[in-house]
Amino acid sequence: MASRDVVVYKTPLSRIWNIFTVVFIAFYLLWTLLPLMIMFFSSFKDLLAAFQLPPVGAFSKIGLFFDFTPTTKHYYNLFVNLGFTTYFFNSIVAAGGSAIISVVLGSMCAYALSRYDFRGKPDLFFWIISTRMAPVVAVLVPLYAIFRGADLIGTKAGLILAFTTFNLPFAIWILKGFFDNVPYAIEEASMVDGSTRFQAFRAILPLVAPGIGAFVILCILFAWNDFLFSSIIGSGGAKTLPPATVELVQPQNIQWGSIMAAGVVTTLPMMFLGLLIRRYLVTGLTMGAVRE
Amino acid sequence: MASVTITNVWKYYGKTVAVKDLNITCNDGEFVSVLGPSGCGKSSTLRMLAGLEHISAGDIHFGDTRVNDLEPKDRDIAMVFENYALYPHKTVYENMANPLRLRNESEETIKKRIAFAAEMLEIEHLLQRKPMELSGGQKQRTAIGRAIVREPKLFLFDEPIAHLDAKLRARMRGELKIMQRRLGTTMIYVTHDQLEAMSMADRIAVMNNGVLQQFGTPQEIYNHPVNEWVAGFVGEPPMNFIDCDLIEEGGSFYAVHSAFKVAVPSDQAVKLRGALKSSGVRMGIRPDQLAISLGQDGAAKGSIKITEPLGGDTLVDVDLKGANHVLVKTDADFRGQMNDPCSLNFDTSRWHFFSKETGVAYF
Ligand SMILES: Nc1ncnc2c1ncn2[C@@H]1O[C@H](COP(=O)(O)OP(=O)(O)OP(=O)(O)O)[C@@H](O)[C@H]1O
Ligand SMILES: [Mg+2]
Repeated sequence: MASRDVVVYKTPLSRIWNIFTVVFIAFYLLWTLLPLMIMFFSSFKDLLAAFQLPPVGAFSKIGLFFDFTPTTKHYYNLFVNLGFTTYFFNSIVAAGGSAIISVVLGSMCAYALSRYDFRGKPDLFFWIISTRMAPVVAVLVPLYAIFRGADLIGTKAGLILAFTTFNLPFAIWILKGFFDNVPYAIEEASMVDGSTRFQAFRAILPLVAPGIGAFVILCILFAWNDFLFSSIIGSGGAKTLPPATVELVQPQNIQWGSIMAAGVVTTLPMMFLGLLIRRYLVTGLTMGAVRE
Repeated sequence: MASVTITNVWKYYGKTVAVKDLNITCNDGEFVSVLGPSGCGKSSTLRMLAGLEHISAGDIHFGDTRVNDLEPKDRDIAMVFENYALYPHKTVYENMANPLRLRNESEETIKKRIAFAAEMLEIEHLLQRKPMELSGGQKQRTAIGRAIVREPKLFLFDEPIAHLDAKLRARMRGELKIMQRRLGTTMIYVTHDQLEAMSMADRIAVMNNGVLQQFGTPQEIYNHPVNEWVAGFVGEPPMNFIDCDLIEEGGSFYAVHSAFKVAVPSDQAVKLRGALKSSGVRMGIRPDQLAISLGQDGAAKGSIKITEPLGGDTLVDVDLKGANHVLVKTDADFRGQMNDPCSLNFDTSRWHFFSKETGVAYF
């Protein structure tokens, strides 16, 4: 049986390649992490300290960045005065809710599309994907009209529904690919063992866990970062973090400190989520189940 | 436990016909083997029995119950799949526990049954491993284990030991047979290996191209194949076929070939009368039903093409005069060399005659 160890052969070329890789990764990390670091530190500085910058090119004065007395006043301001507790909660409910609904409906739908043959199946599948082809702005106006008619504007339910309309086709599309790769034999074995079709479906869910994990992340990310739906359909009662952050940019007073703090509050949960779910993203779970 | 009756069953995949008008009756507690070459519809038949494949036409009964419209879980069967079909995320133990869990057995019963099956299959030390960490043979034994932890009405085995090494396969043949006898559960066992079918089954259903050729005991299949195809498929090394003419001389029948003229025993002659008018027959004789000698006093003369000593006995490929070559199984101490002249004697009581046109056996 194939083991998971990768066989490595050393050649002069691979050495050069290794060095190149390390250099590339170093630059890439700098490029990615620096803005995040600046955001993180600035959120703990008061305004004066935040704008203390060393002259261009003076690398010896780089310590200036770290020379400040930390303050949590921006966070305090954010959560106590600006109502970010509610927005944070709204973001979690909207992103989580739409992810759960999409993954439940999406996996069942993807399973059906993967396993059953019926007339018009390719057309149905294409129709499902095609709903994702139009840009969000194009559907926003009719969607707004429909949602207002149904009294869903400014409600969390409305926002969840809006995200789900966009996430569900995506879920079906991603998960169908994963189900297609699960051999029929495993669920057949399960049915012979004595399970119903639905139990057999549940029995193979662990095999598509990488797909579900990947999809949940993408789905939450989409909803969490979304600005358009949240500001239009969620406006008022169901405001989420991104529109709330934008409101901190006022014409006469850009609240940099709070904006940085809001940035941290928005970014951190997604980073933790990524770490948490990372192991589901490792594929290869089906290896060795079926004779190749 | 139940008998199984397959009545006029057909299986279509779109336009391909996988099984044609199949009729098999399998008694309660019987071990029936479905034997045939690759692609002949064995798995399709088994999957219809399991309820995994729609039955295109015909009926299947378990006992008196028609099962056509029953779901697999309601048929009370246990199946071993051609490709193992283990749950990759579960350990061997959990794989075997699954059918019991689904039937709400107590944890204690589960433990006991698995211990019993694991001991028999010699996989006790593997119970905590995942399928990925098993060799092919170990996977196959786990799959068998999952089937035998229950006591179902019917076992369905699809080439369960095809991927074990020869030694383990020989042992598993014996053990599966013993297990089936002991449990007394009806077994339908699909294989393409005629040795497996011959050595294990009470009765064998030989299939080719979706059509049932013959259904009978191993002895019937071996000694009285109904047609040339079955005769050639069953038996190792395979039966020799020699085209010859049938003539009547002075009240006796003779099989005539450019290399020999042999009298047909009178009890056979009665059944061969119809063949006289046809333009020749095809004679079939197994390699161990031929006797070879280096002298020229045998019925058919030829020369040795090659000898293959196998240890216990020797296979000799003989060129008969008239461009036929014939395989003979003889003793290990046979001393013939390449190109040596030799002669053959036929065990005429056990040879076969088939129609040249239809391949059907005359007796
Ligand atoms: N799902 C399917 N769709 C279309 N044709 C199929 C399908 N399954 C099997 N067939 C065809 O039906 C015929 C019988 O297949 P089956 O799997 O029953 O053969 P088998 O006797 O089990 O062969 P093997 O010994 O190779 O397993 C074959 O010609 C095969 O190509
Ligand atoms: Mg098969």
